[in-house]
Amino acid sequence: MSFNAEQARSQLLEFIVNSYMVDLEEIPLDESLIDEGIIDSFGLVEIATFLEKAFKIKVNEEDMIRENFGSVNKLIAFAERKQNS
Amino acid sequence: MCGVFGIYAPDLSREQIREQLYLGVAQLDHRGPDAWGCYFSDGLALGHTRLSIFDPADGHQPMVTESSALVYNGEVYNHYELRRELEREGVVFRSKCDTEVIQRLYEREGPACLAKMNGQFAIILWDKRSQTLFLARDRLGMRPLYVLERNGALYFSSEMKAFDAIFPGERSINPARLLDHALLWNTLGRDTIYNNVSTVASGTYECYQGGRLTERKRYYEIGEQTRDGFSSLSFDEAMEAFKSKLDESVQLRLRSDVPVGAYLSGGIDSTVISSLVKQRKQDLFKTFSVEFEQSQFDESQYQRLVSEAIQSQHHPVTISSETLSENFLNTIYHCERPIFRTAPIPMLQLSKKVRETDIKVVLTGEGADEILFGYDTFKELKILERWSQGESAAEIDSAISNLYPHLNHYADPKQFGLIKMYYEGFLNSFGNNFVGLNIRMNNNKIIQNYLNKDWGLKSDPADLGSRLDATLPNNFTDWSLLQKNSFLEIKTLLQGYLLSSQGDRMALGNSVEGRYPFLDHNLIEFVFSLPDEYKLQGFTEKHLLKQAFAEQIPQDIIDRPKRPYMAPDIAAFYRGGELVEVAEELLNPGKVAEYGCFDEKMVTRFLRKFKNGVPDHVGYRDNMIFTFLMSTQACQYWIDHPRQKPLDLNKCTVEVFEYH
Repeated sequence: MSFNAEQARSQLLEFIVNSYMVDLEEIPLDESLIDEGIIDSFGLVEIATFLEKAFKIKVNEEDMIRENFGSVNKLIAFAERKQNS
Repeated sequence: MCGVFGIYAPDLSREQIREQLYLGVAQLDHRGPDAWGCYFSDGLALGHTRLSIFDPADGHQPMVTESSALVYNGEVYNHYELRRELEREGVVFRSKCDTEVIQRLYEREGPACLAKMNGQFAIILWDKRSQTLFLARDRLGMRPLYVLERNGALYFSSEMKAFDAIFPGERSINPARLLDHALLWNTLGRDTIYNNVSTVASGTYECYQGGRLTERKRYYEIGEQTRDGFSSLSFDEAMEAFKSKLDESVQLRLRSDVPVGAYLSGGIDSTVISSLVKQRKQDLFKTFSVEFEQSQFDESQYQRLVSEAIQSQHHPVTISSETLSENFLNTIYHCERPIFRTAPIPMLQLSKKVRETDIKVVLTGEGADEILFGYDTFKELKILERWSQGESAAEIDSAISNLYPHLNHYADPKQFGLIKMYYEGFLNSFGNNFVGLNIRMNNNKIIQNYLNKDWGLKSDPADLGSRLDATLPNNFTDWSLLQKNSFLEIKTLLQGYLLSSQGDRMALGNSVEGRYPFLDHNLIEFVFSLPDEYKLQGFTEKHLLKQAFAEQIPQDIIDRPKRPYMAPDIAAFYRGGELVEVAEELLNPGKVAEYGCFDEKMVTRFLRKFKNGVPDHVGYRDNMIFTFLMSTQACQYWIDHPRQKPLDLNKCTVEVFEYH
């Protein structure tokens, strides 16, 4: 099954909307969710857990860098790379 | 401890002023249940409710001399020394009370008297000679004094509920200041979260003539003596001096004509204070503690350990979820501003417990975390500073992973990278004037999404930053990062929450006076000047305190991991998936719309998250949002439903009319 980035992004955005009480239009796609005040450190842990469940991937210690977690688009690209690897 | 109230309104009639004064004074009964009194002159009135600590038989207020009339809330601990000094200069006293000392000192020296006073106080004094109304607050802002300006008249009070009794339903929330409070846990300078209500700033006095402000001056600022780098004392010298200054501070705060007790939290700060008390007082000493039914919040094991070590007669109060929800509204009635944790609620129950004994005065450990770098923000800043200076990744990693032993996810090696990412976000900002507040502001910024959308408010760090800068002393830039953070923690968390919402209002809600030995200004100035490493050694917080008292207090207390005093927040307000009654009443969509502070859709969406019950682990942010929503709504509730306590005419001890 190939990774559908559009669908994955929608799933992630829905999770963010429901978990962090922001409107869809308030979520920046290319900015850090932490820097924007949308999530705190605990939120990062929750998002990592969500990615593992929703996309059946394993997030390892070395994956936890800003290049992978620094924005919604980076999270999706990371999930795609993981699933394809 | 007491309540003070005043009216300065040259345009109002004598009858209007009298009627308003009685209404106002009656609402401050809990601060001073022993007696009340009033003073009237043309266009002016002073009121007072008294909790007798010194000279209970005499010393009633307002205290009136040929030169002035005074109402005063607080204690000036060095009043014996000041009295002797004045007596040497020929002043003759009528009472043994500290109030008269302050009055005579002011009459001789004017506002310069404040520099000589060591204590906690709020003063309203009418200087008949110069026809000046003089207001002042202690250096740290331990005792409150609010000012309401209304149609050219000025009203002054220890608590705003006195204004509400005179003008029911008029107090209104200022949206922009509410957002400041949400970001910082306090408003800046003289601001409050309400329109037309300001506070006399800590360490400041104000003078009014002819119904108008004529002078406002800061007479003290924290760290004012620290200009030329750190003190050159060795650690051992500093430790000895610290011990003796803290002991002196405790001794001063044991001065009282009624017995003094202490709060025990189970942490090192209150343990040290209680141990010092015990050394000085060999008689029966009473201690008081909050215990929780939920074991993750309970520290009774440590509290009892300390009580046994110092052989105190211990009085715990046990807090359940029901205690928290049932006493929520009453807590906000007393603290009059939004809170971010429910932790003040148990403190109101604790002061109730105190009053069931013969104790009216308690010593507590407030201030040690701010002056001795006890909070995690100090460690976070140290990490960020080293990180930005290129310290090795391994060092940074180990420092971060050890930061929060009480939060599970920080210790999990797999998740730790995420936390590192979180801190990385502050690398560019931590060096600005907000220092450690950057982290709090970032965590709390989410609240802006919940505010009424019509207000159109977004956090504006540049604007807030320039308003913050205007409140900073001119030697701020000379200080180290950690000294700056100490100053800011005192100005925000300590003054806006610990000393006020969780301190003064919760103790005085049941007529109990708290005294804070760590906040003696002589001690603060001494500790402030010491090198950072004496206070935060490596990542060991309050190093100086731990070393200084290692021999005197149980080792288990020194070794236990630091944890903040907290109570169940959101979990206490749900039974299964249902909100308890008080939460349902305050947060239902109709009430949210009626009060107009928050966005109904956001509040509903937030609450939906917990419709299947509250999970075992709720993050800081959700607890903070919930408590902020509830308490802001409760502030509006009390504006709309002001209590009107009647005046007990039997308790009037002073009524003076000096009309011309």
